[in-house]
Amino acid sequence: MVSVAPSKSLGASARETNHANGADSDSSESLLMAVGNWQDIAAYNKLFSRFASKIFAMGIKLTGNEQLANDLVQEAMLSVWQKAPLFDLDRGSAKSWIFTLSRNRCFDLLRKLKRQPSCVSADDIWPQHEENTTLDREETASLVTQIAQIEKYCVQLPEQQQAVIKQIYIFDRTHEEAAEALKIPLGTLKSRLRLGLGKLRQLIGVEQ
Amino acid sequence: MNTEINFHPNEKLLDSFAQGRLPAGMSIAISAHVELCNSCKENTSVAEVKAGVAWLETPESKSSSEFDHLVADIVKQPQQKNIVVEPSSVNEIHMLDHSVKLPKALAKVASEGLVWKKLTGGINRAELLLDDETQCEFVYMKPGSQVPMHKHQGNEFTLVIDGSFFDELGCYKSSDFVVRNKDQIHEPASEEGCLCFAVLDSPVTFTRGMARLLNPMNRYKFRKATAKKAE
Repeated sequence: MVSVAPSKSLGASARETNHANGADSDSSESLLMAVGNWQDIAAYNKLFSRFASKIFAMGIKLTGNEQLANDLVQEAMLSVWQKAPLFDLDRGSAKSWIFTLSRNRCFDLLRKLKRQPSCVSADDIWPQHEENTTLDREETASLVTQIAQIEKYCVQLPEQQQAVIKQIYIFDRTHEEAAEALKIPLGTLKSRLRLGLGKLRQLIGVEQ
Repeated sequence: MNTEINFHPNEKLLDSFAQGRLPAGMSIAISAHVELCNSCKENTSVAEVKAGVAWLETPESKSSSEFDHLVADIVKQPQQKNIVVEPSSVNEIHMLDHSVKLPKALAKVASEGLVWKKLTGGINRAELLLDDETQCEFVYMKPGSQVPMHKHQGNEFTLVIDGSFFDELGCYKSSDFVVRNKDQIHEPASEEGCLCFAVLDSPVTFTRGMARLLNPMNRYKFRKATAKKAE
């Protein structure tokens, strides 16, 4: 089974976004479009092996309940199949889209388990599409692209520097929390962060 | 609607919202604000992208192949070609002299039927049971009304849906999302009248005058509201 190893996923995601226009038939975006347009079962199987284990991990993290996490894999991957025709490349990457579908199913499952009133569902709280939206989609899209770009450069850094940057900028941890998570002294963390950011600026082409 | 919104959920709250970690009541209040506020809409999209990246970093405890048996049944299911949005039976709330259109998530919960109760000082409230961690209510303040001075043992999130109110710390208009933390004492009042959706994560304590008599009652009500779903 091909599954995205944790340490590789930043790289994998940069690759996905890079070829989001369909150049790479193995990108999650291309696979998702094949599922949506032609009910391509082989493509669905690939997506399944890429994301099922991740959805299970999300279920465990958000609910702490293994049975619920198993149910979540079924519900979320069913949603991926059923809603694939609605996937809109302009609105973001496949992994973001699958993340929001899984989050929504998880939210509903947990509420059902706790017997909370069913008057409102996750799809009401995070509507997929709003009519008459005044949101400047281009602006959001460009932010999303920028993040993808930075991810792409990030994987060119030495792994230790990558890990530090991820802790601070993706997980929003403080320096102290990040040092603890990585089990390195605070000073080491700060110097890796400084080196990493310097290198990143160089790669992106920002003048110091 | 979007002219000038001064009060927003902070980044941490929006991140938790995007990650799906907040109780339903709070998620609904934030969803309603996000629907009205372009900058928060954009920040939520970015928070979702970030959450998606972080998600793929989660260590795995089971491999995908252990779920392979699910695929055969899933791919037999029909696909969805259009977005289906179930319309809410209630889309607006009628005030004294005008109606107010509700954001979608609030319209959904209001459709269950609101039971308004009058309190002293021109305040009306309709309580909602949405989850087991928060107490949620629509609050309507009549023009010239005032809520007795109180403080919170937890956090209070208030979305202004229509009109405005003010307290010692500021003036809040339509679409503002106001957060009051533990132990901030305040005495909200409204000149022009105000419709809000308020979410509390623990009971209110009144600090002044006769209203203090309501305190044991408030704690009782909060316990009742949060105990009910255990049934």
